[in-house]
Amino acid sequence: MPVTCSSGEIATGDRRCSRGVSVRIQSVSIAFGGRTVLENFDIEISAGEFVAIVGRSGCGKSTLLRSVVGLETPQAGTITLGNVAEHARKHDGKPDLRPPVRSAVRPEARPDVRVMFQDSRLLPWRRVLPNVMLGLEPALIPQARKVLAQVGLAERAGDWPATLSGGQRQRVALARALVHDPNLLLLDEPLGSLDALTRIEMQQLIEDIWRSRGFTAMLVTHDVAEAISLADRVILIEGGCVALDEVVNIPRPRTRGGTRFAALEERILGRVLQRRRVVEDRW
Amino acid sequence: MSERQKSPAWKTQLRPSVLAKQALPWVVPILLLMVWQSASSAGILPSRFLPSPRAVVSSFIALSASGELWMHVRVSTLRALAGFAMGGGLGLVLGLLTGSLHWAETLLDTTIQMVRNIPPLALIPLVILWFGIDESAKLFLVSLGVFFPVYINTFHGIRSVDRGLLEMGRTYGLSGWPLYREIILPGALPSILVGVRFSLGLMWVILIVAETISARSGIGYMTMNAREFMQTDVMVVGILLYAVLGKLADLLAKGLERYWLRWNPAYQRAR
Repeated sequence: MPVTCSSGEIATGDRRCSRGVSVRIQSVSIAFGGRTVLENFDIEISAGEFVAIVGRSGCGKSTLLRSVVGLETPQAGTITLGNVAEHARKHDGKPDLRPPVRSAVRPEARPDVRVMFQDSRLLPWRRVLPNVMLGLEPALIPQARKVLAQVGLAERAGDWPATLSGGQRQRVALARALVHDPNLLLLDEPLGSLDALTRIEMQQLIEDIWRSRGFTAMLVTHDVAEAISLADRVILIEGGCVALDEVVNIPRPRTRGGTRFAALEERILGRVLQRRRVVEDRW
Repeated sequence: MSERQKSPAWKTQLRPSVLAKQALPWVVPILLLMVWQSASSAGILPSRFLPSPRAVVSSFIALSASGELWMHVRVSTLRALAGFAMGGGLGLVLGLLTGSLHWAETLLDTTIQMVRNIPPLALIPLVILWFGIDESAKLFLVSLGVFFPVYINTFHGIRSVDRGLLEMGRTYGLSGWPLYREIILPGALPSILVGVRFSLGLMWVILIVAETISARSGIGYMTMNAREFMQTDVMVVGILLYAVLGKLADLLAKGLERYWLRWNPAYQRAR
């Protein structure tokens, strides 16, 4: 497994290694109603690494991310964050209303793991700053304001989420995740519903923040170009397994027009499409 | 494209001024009042059938000057609010309970849905038997009537809270009371307020009937008493008072909606 500290071209490269948390997913199987989504799935992500997970709709990439944060329960296998193992949990299927336990058994309660969803999921009845403050002590207001400024929305702190644009809402969602100073940030197609220009801006913002903070990042996306421009490694999921695991050796900041960029994009896209051709032939 | 550019200009020409917009809702009531007064003055409408608006106004002034009117209004309002607080409070608590806990729904919902189908006013004979013509009879009827709209809308509100937000809250370590306070309650609030508005209307309807049947004070009693003496003007004053009080209750509910749901664009421009 490549240790990505070597690819940290910026001065904070050392900090990145200390901040991030490693993720080890071992022989995880998840099925919904008899349909297997992930089968005997293995990946390892080093601390501070930025991994993009791509694949066709319904390939299980979102399910994988959700199981890392504990929103799905694998039927088999273990998910390890850092060096504490989260063993296959007892499956009871009930909504969890128990008080948060800061243990490896319930990673969703881990304050150092945060998720950004495809929709911003801001609380519409809280103004922007209280949204960022969700689950925080009031003493941390200055910190929340600082993070809000970092995503460029300092002056919108007192506005209702309903008055923000889609891109601004995702920025607030990003600030809400970052204010907890996560060691692992899970991004579940967070830019999927944004327009092309806002997307590129947001990609830049996420890359900058990742580079300065050095957390581990897992990005699920269906956009191969987005995966290549952001990630250290691109993992393609097909049929519930890893179909491709490519290290992206393009120096940052990456430009989309580059030859190596284009070649890699074509290779991964070709792999995705080839699979479909095989499936179609079989039918 | 040219059509779309034209349309705003066309609209501004026809847009009524702010004053006209505020006067518009009152055009029909004032017109009705004028027809009524002229029919009475012309003698088409006999005063033992319906008094003239002028007679109603003078009767209103006389009643309020003697303080009798305000005594009745106070008694009725207190009854209405006490019944609303009890029935609505219970509906809110039980709705939150059955909405949040599956075992509570299994235990209680079938029973509540059965009782719901009995009109509260159908219980009047039984209620008189139980409570006599006491205050408690009227409180019971009002409470029962307002209970169901609040209960059903609270239950529905809790159940329709955005699952995505709940999931997000849990990934942020919220659970138990913080999850309830931050996400579940505010998410259910629009629906709960619909129930409150609905039951405020029902509150007066049930109180009128309860007061006309058995009471020694209150607007309903005043109206029924006036019937004994053929004081049609007092009867009309009583009926109009209900309209005014009902409108006030609705304004209160609307005000609560506009304050609590000010985050929701759908309520920001609501007038």
